[in-house]
Amino acid sequence: MALAQVESLTFSYANTTQDVLHDVNLSVEAGQFVLLIGQSGCGKTTLLRHLKSALTPYGTRSGVVRFDGRALADVPLAEQARRVGFVLQNPDNQIVTDKVWHELAFGLESLGVPTPVIRRRVAEMASFFGIGEWYHRDVDTLSGGQKQLLNLAAVMTMQPDLLVLDEPTAQLDPIAAVDFLAATKRINDELGTTVLVTEHRLETAFPLSDRVVVMSAGRVVADATPHTVGAVLARHADPMVTALPAAARLALALDGVDNSSAPVSIREGRTYLRQKLAENPDSASVTSVPDLRYERGLGSHAGTSTDKTSVSTGIITANDVWFRYERNGDDVLRGVDLEIRAGEFACVVGGNGSGKTTTLGVLSGLHKPYRGKVRILGLDPVKAKGMELFRAGLSVVPQDPQTLFMRNTIGDDLDDAASRQYTDRDERREAVERAAATAEITSLLSRHPYDVSGGEQQRAALAMALLTNPKLLLLDEPTKGMDAFFKASLAEVLQKLVDSGMTILMVSHDVEFAAAYTSRCLLFFDGGVVAEGTPREFFAGNSFYTTAANRLGRGLVPGAVTVTDLVDYYRALSAESV
Amino acid sequence: MSTSVKTRLTWLFALVGIVAVITLGVLFPFDRNYYFIALAVITLSMLPFLAAFEGRKPEAREIVTIAVLTALAVAGRAAFFMLPQFKPGMAIVILAGVGLGRESGFVVGVLHGFISNFIFGQGPWTPWQMFSYALCGFLAGVFFSRSAERHSGFSSPLQKTLLIIYGALATFVIYGLLVDSASVLIWSSEFTWSAARAIYLSGIPFNAVHAFATAVFLTLLSTLIVERLTRLKTRYGLFQPH
Amino acid sequence: MRDADAFSSLHPAVLFGYFVLIVGVNVVFMHPLVLGISFLGALAYAAYLVRWAGLRKLLPGLLIMMVIAALFNPIFNHRGVTMLFYWNDNPITLEAIIYGGVAALMIGSVLLWFVSYNKVMTSDKFLCVFGHVVPALSLIFAMVLRFVPRYFAQAKRIAAAQRGIGRDVASGSWYARARHGSAVLSIMLTWALENAVDTSDSMLARGYGLPGRTAYTDFKVRERDFMAALALGGSGLVVVVAIVAGVLHAEYFPAYAVGDWSVAAWLALGAWMLICAAPLLLGLREEAVWRSLRSNL
Repeated sequence: MALAQVESLTFSYANTTQDVLHDVNLSVEAGQFVLLIGQSGCGKTTLLRHLKSALTPYGTRSGVVRFDGRALADVPLAEQARRVGFVLQNPDNQIVTDKVWHELAFGLESLGVPTPVIRRRVAEMASFFGIGEWYHRDVDTLSGGQKQLLNLAAVMTMQPDLLVLDEPTAQLDPIAAVDFLAATKRINDELGTTVLVTEHRLETAFPLSDRVVVMSAGRVVADATPHTVGAVLARHADPMVTALPAAARLALALDGVDNSSAPVSIREGRTYLRQKLAENPDSASVTSVPDLRYERGLGSHAGTSTDKTSVSTGIITANDVWFRYERNGDDVLRGVDLEIRAGEFACVVGGNGSGKTTTLGVLSGLHKPYRGKVRILGLDPVKAKGMELFRAGLSVVPQDPQTLFMRNTIGDDLDDAASRQYTDRDERREAVERAAATAEITSLLSRHPYDVSGGEQQRAALAMALLTNPKLLLLDEPTKGMDAFFKASLAEVLQKLVDSGMTILMVSHDVEFAAAYTSRCLLFFDGGVVAEGTPREFFAGNSFYTTAANRLGRGLVPGAVTVTDLVDYYRALSAESV
Repeated sequence: MSTSVKTRLTWLFALVGIVAVITLGVLFPFDRNYYFIALAVITLSMLPFLAAFEGRKPEAREIVTIAVLTALAVAGRAAFFMLPQFKPGMAIVILAGVGLGRESGFVVGVLHGFISNFIFGQGPWTPWQMFSYALCGFLAGVFFSRSAERHSGFSSPLQKTLLIIYGALATFVIYGLLVDSASVLIWSSEFTWSAARAIYLSGIPFNAVHAFATAVFLTLLSTLIVERLTRLKTRYGLFQPH
Repeated sequence: MRDADAFSSLHPAVLFGYFVLIVGVNVVFMHPLVLGISFLGALAYAAYLVRWAGLRKLLPGLLIMMVIAALFNPIFNHRGVTMLFYWNDNPITLEAIIYGGVAALMIGSVLLWFVSYNKVMTSDKFLCVFGHVVPALSLIFAMVLRFVPRYFAQAKRIAAAQRGIGRDVASGSWYARARHGSAVLSIMLTWALENAVDTSDSMLARGYGLPGRTAYTDFKVRERDFMAALALGGSGLVVVVAIVAGVLHAEYFPAYAVGDWSVAAWLALGAWMLICAAPLLLGLREEAVWRSLRSNL
């Protein structure tokens, strides 16, 4: 018998007529690790929320949700609270109290569990997750990854049978995300807890799952094992195919839809690729790479933009820049040297604490370096008075777009942002419409900024930045929490801006995005730039901090950065040997 | 025992307590009996409100909203540390009363007075501050929450002007008078008019700045907060049973 | 997290009871010796907790308050039989001056006890005491403590983000700055209220609102808490009984008189002295133990 079962569920939100969920059927067997995927806005979150009465959204619905054989409405709320655990996207918002120990105990308090029992359960969970060390700390002192782990542990103290996770790693950096997903897998393996999770980080989540359910526009379109789901999607020509892990995409490209056990992890993918190449008689002797230089998308813009502006000097230059936040603190930037030329789409990648975001702060004059020289748009940000830098054409898109909204509609917020540049009302309206069109949010102008998705908020923030008529755009982690499709369309928007003559410098953890869309990458480590180059040079030169496709092909297909490179290489080889 | 019975009992207890304290204090005078009587009276008069709040077991959304507003008021007091008396706290307490009703105004007031002193230091003045904030928030709810509800915000500029005037007056008269009276009782053995006059006069500039700040922050924030709270109420069913 | 000292590691209920007793007696009972002992005890313990560096910051304010208290009473209170001189046509009496001095001691010791209170009775301890009594308000309290530092961090981020699109709080005309400042405030408010929905969902998901909620506390009641409660409670009872029975007694008007010095009175004073010195003694004893342990290593 299934632990949780959704039977022909159709749902639309109050005051709307469009179905968010349409005839959805899903059954989750006890002990499974189920991955639920789909484009943003496909109804994943709405579906998950139907698994708990306390979170079920208001609206009209038909169909039944069953838990442990009973209609959910008949399962007492206390039993639901205990047996169905929920972890949401934002680590900070979910934490209720100020102390780690209190947060761990919160659920058990609600259930009316006496103190000695709470003490024991909390101790057990703290030990299981290894959070004994920060048990007495203020929640405030934890990192994002630790906070989300705390949210998970705080749910696990109630010993749920079903753990529901709604994009739990969207706000985490890649390393914390991997740690978090590993923790959920451990819960699944060692405690037998059933897990239902939605994720955009498919590269990590696929290998952990027993089953992958795909949703599209409110319907379940595929329900298969991770190894076969790619083929199912490909048969329907579903766009989610492009979001699959690199290994699965490679297998789809080489074998078509017939492969009944496509690789999903890098390890499986490498074994698969090795076999494929071995089938090919000449592969062992390959030393020279077939011409991979007809790159598609990748790096192609780099050529044009640098050619166009090869005479221009750097729009940003930094020489030996040192910075620390506090006089007695550690140096965060330790001799940063970098140059960004006009017309570039450059990306700074690197781990947490490598100084990426701090560098943006120094460039925009928010932080003052104590040594070294910075020039940006011909000005020294340390000496630039007031908003001189911003009048000269600098604009910064913040990591968290919610730091910009204060009006009832996105249109009003854009209007505000334009008020400095455009005093004439009609001109201002035109400018707002133009910026909205560029950022592709024209249809959202009348929406409340908090009613749209994170990706849409990010674009609204971009439009606000564009309204200051920048020549140079700095972006901090613009792809955070976005799915593959949102990233692709954001990349298009940014590329258009670069084509129109703007220079873009972004800071990101997102290696795949940097590889696929930017014209130059810089690797930050320990407060300085340690490597740089076009994405192709850059990622081909890295072995570990690189794209999934590069890791797949390492030592097998030299210089491959994208799945397309791998496929092209294989095809070229096959053609040669025929 | 039903909650309404409990609440009524608390009222009764508080009322009897207040009468008893005053009677005892007058019949058996001791050193500083005025201070003691006053302290007991305001503490007892806060009890029924808080008991009523506890008694009806407020739901999660209400608790969070009250916590958010209180935290904003507390953080505001800390953020404007460099400007003495120029704080947004009273404005936020008043707007809690307007947006969420008189009881919530009272609760946010009590909590703001109490919790912000964990940062600024507790002292004999704490109960008076708690009570004064609470009273201002409560009265704001009595006078303004209905109309804010009906118009889902301040549609009429007159309402907003009236609220700003109320805010400035309440801060100057209610808060100023109560907290300064506490000072009189703390400093001197008994309540003499000459002593009170000296304290009230010296308090005027401080209270005036405080009232001015409240008016400024009400001007800036009243529409915004009431609109946001209304949005939460309609969109997320805040304070509505499932 | 470490407790401030040995006394602070007692159970919060004991600590809270201690401060209620000591501040209560201070505020209500104006006896020069009682207040003198209390003042010395409070000063010594505050000095022990915040050290000289902390005390140095407090002392000027404290002295000003005490001086005002000492002057306030003779200026506005003209009762008392021993008239000394006229000031602004008002009689200044010896009794009022003495009363002013005692009032200064009262103010000083209350303020100093509150210095220790703020250090010892941290918010989580307060919550431990009141979590059972007022669960909803206590929870709000804990949430406020969670939100305040978060709001500060967010306000900083908002100001930086606003600067990034050309609205700086720290530059431009007075009017522009005020406008940008109020924008930060508006964004902050909107953000805080909108994100609160997530928080309440997280509470609901973990069963908040179900009947029979318990209040967990990380503090355990140990044997030494009973001992401390017994010792302090016993001494407190002796003092309170002595006050109510009039064994300890002081009056200022019309004439200054401090009660008889019976054995019972001295006994009560001894108990009071024990109470006022207890926190410091506990701390010093534990430090001595540490020192002997270290020297034995």
